[in-house]
Amino acid sequence: MPSLFVIRGNDQGTRFELSESLLRLGRDASSTIQLHDTEVSRQHAELRRSGKHFTISDLGSSNGTFVNGERIRRQPLSSGDQVQIGQTMMLYTGPSGDFDADLADVISIAAATAKEESQIIRSITQEEGSRIFGSDAAFAENPWLARARSNLQVMYRTALAVSHTLDIDQLLYRIMELIFEWVEADRGCIMLVDPEDNSLRPKVRRTRRKTRPDEKITISKTILDYVTERREGVLTSDARQDERWSPAGSILKMGVREAICVPMQARYDMVGVIYIDTHTTPQEIIRQGTAEKFTEDHLKLMVAIAHQAALAVEDTRYYSAMVQAERLAAIGQTVATLSHHIKNILQGIRGGSYLIELGLTEHDESVIDKGWNIVEKNQKKISALVMDMLTFSKEREPDLATADLNHVIGDVVELMHAHADELDVDLQWQPDGTLPELVFDPEGIHRAVLNVLTNAIDAAGENEESGRVTIRSEYLSDAALVRITIEDNGSGIPPAQVEQLFSPFVSTKKGRGTGLGLPVSQKILTEHGGRILVDGHSAPGSRFTLELPAVLPKTGRDTT
Amino acid sequence: MDGQRSVLIVDHSEETREVLQTALERRGLRTFSASRAGAGLELARRHRPDLIVLDLELDDAGSEDLPGGFAEQSCRDHIPLVMLGTVRRDAKSPPEGEFVAKPYHYGPLIRKIEELLHTPPVALRRSA
Repeated sequence: MPSLFVIRGNDQGTRFELSESLLRLGRDASSTIQLHDTEVSRQHAELRRSGKHFTISDLGSSNGTFVNGERIRRQPLSSGDQVQIGQTMMLYTGPSGDFDADLADVISIAAATAKEESQIIRSITQEEGSRIFGSDAAFAENPWLARARSNLQVMYRTALAVSHTLDIDQLLYRIMELIFEWVEADRGCIMLVDPEDNSLRPKVRRTRRKTRPDEKITISKTILDYVTERREGVLTSDARQDERWSPAGSILKMGVREAICVPMQARYDMVGVIYIDTHTTPQEIIRQGTAEKFTEDHLKLMVAIAHQAALAVEDTRYYSAMVQAERLAAIGQTVATLSHHIKNILQGIRGGSYLIELGLTEHDESVIDKGWNIVEKNQKKISALVMDMLTFSKEREPDLATADLNHVIGDVVELMHAHADELDVDLQWQPDGTLPELVFDPEGIHRAVLNVLTNAIDAAGENEESGRVTIRSEYLSDAALVRITIEDNGSGIPPAQVEQLFSPFVSTKKGRGTGLGLPVSQKILTEHGGRILVDGHSAPGSRFTLELPAVLPKTGRDTT
Repeated sequence: MDGQRSVLIVDHSEETREVLQTALERRGLRTFSASRAGAGLELARRHRPDLIVLDLELDDAGSEDLPGGFAEQSCRDHIPLVMLGTVRRDAKSPPEGEFVAKPYHYGPLIRKIEELLHTPPVALRRSA
């Protein structure tokens, strides 16, 4: 589904799905997409679907609507467009099928046929890729070719560095190291723009041996301003000969001979600058005959390196913002589901205690009884909830013991009979008599079966005519497996929900479920080396199969 | 009518129905109850209760239009409607009646039901 993802502003991290064909953006609470931004007009802009994509129109807002930095009145959007209104920057993503919709027709993967067979002549690993720049005698004769090769190598290594890490500091450190290997710089640093106040903060600093490592790097503000304002890389050499840097400029005072400063321009923003300089003393110039260490080639390549690094920094930031947003959403969902469930339990307890109070005032024991039953039932619900939460949260090893699986299931069935009767559900239990004693965690399997069976009974209870649940055990001695199959004749599970069945805290039982039952059951089965199979519509209802390895106890006395 | 006032309780929770029925019957009221909206509406049409207590978290109706049928019934027959829970703030036409947010206490809820039962319909419309 097309979406707008807020990458900057008060709503940062929020993803707005564009599900309707006409959406209004604004500060007003009635807006489809409400932005908490004082520079956004009450009714700022609207998005109208045209075909697969959306067109954005400004609704005469006071501060205007911008797409990719240009003020627009009306503009069709395409994936990757950056929409800015007020201080809020959003990234538009088109429908997911946008790019590969028709590709399946023109690209296909086929097994090799006898007629048309391409052979692999040469293959290359990721690591080997860098060796294409390895030393080769042919290059030594041609300096231009050698330089081009060395430049390409730097870019290749930058690309590798960028692709290897999601940690910004580490990434910048690698980039700096690379630059130092390639160019004769004395000092260098990378500064990133702090999104809080737009100021540049140093992140990585590096000096070559001949400079004192504790020497402070002072960067000319003149250069920095030029670079950040124009977003251009600069190479400064002899300050006195260059008119752009007036004698009043700070370069002169600092005596910098050569410096390269390039913006780290990413897709949307300038995320920082990379600065390197080299200081040549008059003695060195006399000795070497030239002061020129930095060339235009260096500058060009630095711009390219900075761009690569900037893209990686930006990607990493968006990625973390997205992960953070998703984490918050997941916590929100968890809290919502849990509080709903707990609220229902609380409501039950209040009902029970109200009846007890009523019975006590009126000296009617039957009312006290009723109330007490309700309190008891809810007490059990809390205890089940806490048990599920514990099972779900902790890494645990199954508490293995030799036991009769039919007994364990039988206990669960007995426990659930009352609930089945309540919902008018016929509960059938068909144990497999050939099932031997096995080694498993009886308490865990009890819990796992209980959760699945409870769901089945609830589902069958929805059947208006006659609810029915069948549970049976089955021993497959050849495969050394046990299957516990639970079938209901409820309304089944829509395919869309099957995917979410085992996601924690997702419940379709409207607050009566914790959303923990199936995840807990699955966890227990997985701990046993087993699994749960789901058939969402084994007409008429659904079928859950709990499959676990049948581990026979070691023969001998030791059976624990 | 035989003079005995009646209350219809539509709530998914068996416990809530039991508590309300017990408490209201001890106050001399007749009660009907249903766990689903469909059955509830049927009872409302058949018995014309003097008041309806409606849980807003029933399973068999989208929460958007769930109170709709009951609101209509309540409006036509001047039956006070007490709704347990909340409707979404952006619901198109929130039904008229009393809302009691969950989790609620039973004492005040029962007092509210009694109050509404003793308020003549005309005055009721003004206060709603």
